[in-house]
Amino acid sequence: MADFELVAPATPEEAIASLRTGPPGAVAVLGGGTDLLFDLEEGRSAPERVVSLRRLPWRTLEWNGNALTIGSTLPLRTLENDPLLRARIPGLHSAVRAVGSVALRQRATLGGNLGRSAPASDLVPMLLALDAEVLLLGPAGERRLTVDGFVQGSRRTALGPAELIRAVRIPEARPSAYHWQRVRPFHDISHMAVAVAFSPSARAWRVAVAGFPPRPLRVPEAEAALGSARPDADAVHRAAEEIARRAPIVADHRASEEYRRQLVRPLLERAVDATVRGGR
Amino acid sequence: MTPVAIRLTVNGRPESLVDVPSGERLLDTLRWRLSLKGTKEGCRTGGCGACTVLVDGRSTLSCLTLAREVEGSEITTIEGVGRDGTGARVQEAFRAAGAVQCGYCTPGFVMALTGLLKERARADGFDALLEDLGGNLCRCTGYAAIVRAAAALRPGTGAP
Repeated sequence: MADFELVAPATPEEAIASLRTGPPGAVAVLGGGTDLLFDLEEGRSAPERVVSLRRLPWRTLEWNGNALTIGSTLPLRTLENDPLLRARIPGLHSAVRAVGSVALRQRATLGGNLGRSAPASDLVPMLLALDAEVLLLGPAGERRLTVDGFVQGSRRTALGPAELIRAVRIPEARPSAYHWQRVRPFHDISHMAVAVAFSPSARAWRVAVAGFPPRPLRVPEAEAALGSARPDADAVHRAAEEIARRAPIVADHRASEEYRRQLVRPLLERAVDATVRGGR
Repeated sequence: MTPVAIRLTVNGRPESLVDVPSGERLLDTLRWRLSLKGTKEGCRTGGCGACTVLVDGRSTLSCLTLAREVEGSEITTIEGVGRDGTGARVQEAFRAAGAVQCGYCTPGFVMALTGLLKERARADGFDALLEDLGGNLCRCTGYAAIVRAAAALRPGTGAP
């Protein structure tokens, strides 16, 4: 691994300044490091400066009524162990548990998962189905984007060069579920994943799919096809067909296109069924 | 770029380490600086769990952790886990279940289980127990005995 300068600023202002004063294009941000270190080891990334967020006061989790704000540097394992999460947003609990292993989640963070924005992220599809927002902090102050607007492509985001992810806000708790297919049940990359949530305020479904490049995406036609709070088997079938028709599902070294397409229907059926029954 | 000195407490002993490069992983610090070879290097990419240690009581992949990122922390490795009541119970459960074949994965499994017990994660039954151990691989495929040892440590989970 190439040598780099490692800095751990104590305040958000210092952190943003250290991003700005760094060599252009040669600064990497370190959350838990579980993805970045993998890249450094493989030589895919060779930053001159790495800015660690470990000293920032962002390891927070705050319920405000039905809304949840998660600090970007909160370890995923702490989020997973929150006593309310599983009951209130079961799909997010499942999606968090789909990331790596317990020992990996003790360091991995939600901010890191979003910032690195891997096409097979298990968290992005669930955040899409929850209409989550990303709170960014930069030299000009704060701004707020939907996760849909933030994630732009495979490992591409709307994050500015001197911006940091401060928190993720989920506007309301929703019955929800996250179902995936992979080779190894844990610590593996999902070949195909379906995130589903039902918004009690909008009386509407949210459906997002992931597992193939360039990025996880919502499928509004599938959401419309599900319709009511208790869709029948035909409605779920039509929704699965909409996903298969609309989602740009492709083959890669992990799975063929046809296999992925065949996974859509069973995963969606299970996820909708779990959501109707209260989640997970 | 300048290597710096850091302090860690390793198995109860304060250690002051000099000239630690930015990119040095905790795994290498433990094995090569401190000669604690019980922590194993498996895949070096976070996928096998062989390098699991406790950082402030929480199971952590030492191959995906920079030593300087855990400055000031308390590290427990397989060499020191028996000093603690929970760790000693896990070791005894592995012995009683005969849960060791070639032994390479054993330190990682013992540390992962010790971390789970210390965290007092919900006892969700057997499936969740297996999920929580899913980050550790045994290339001998000696899982049945490992799972028996784990089940014995979490009452109510019921062995298969």
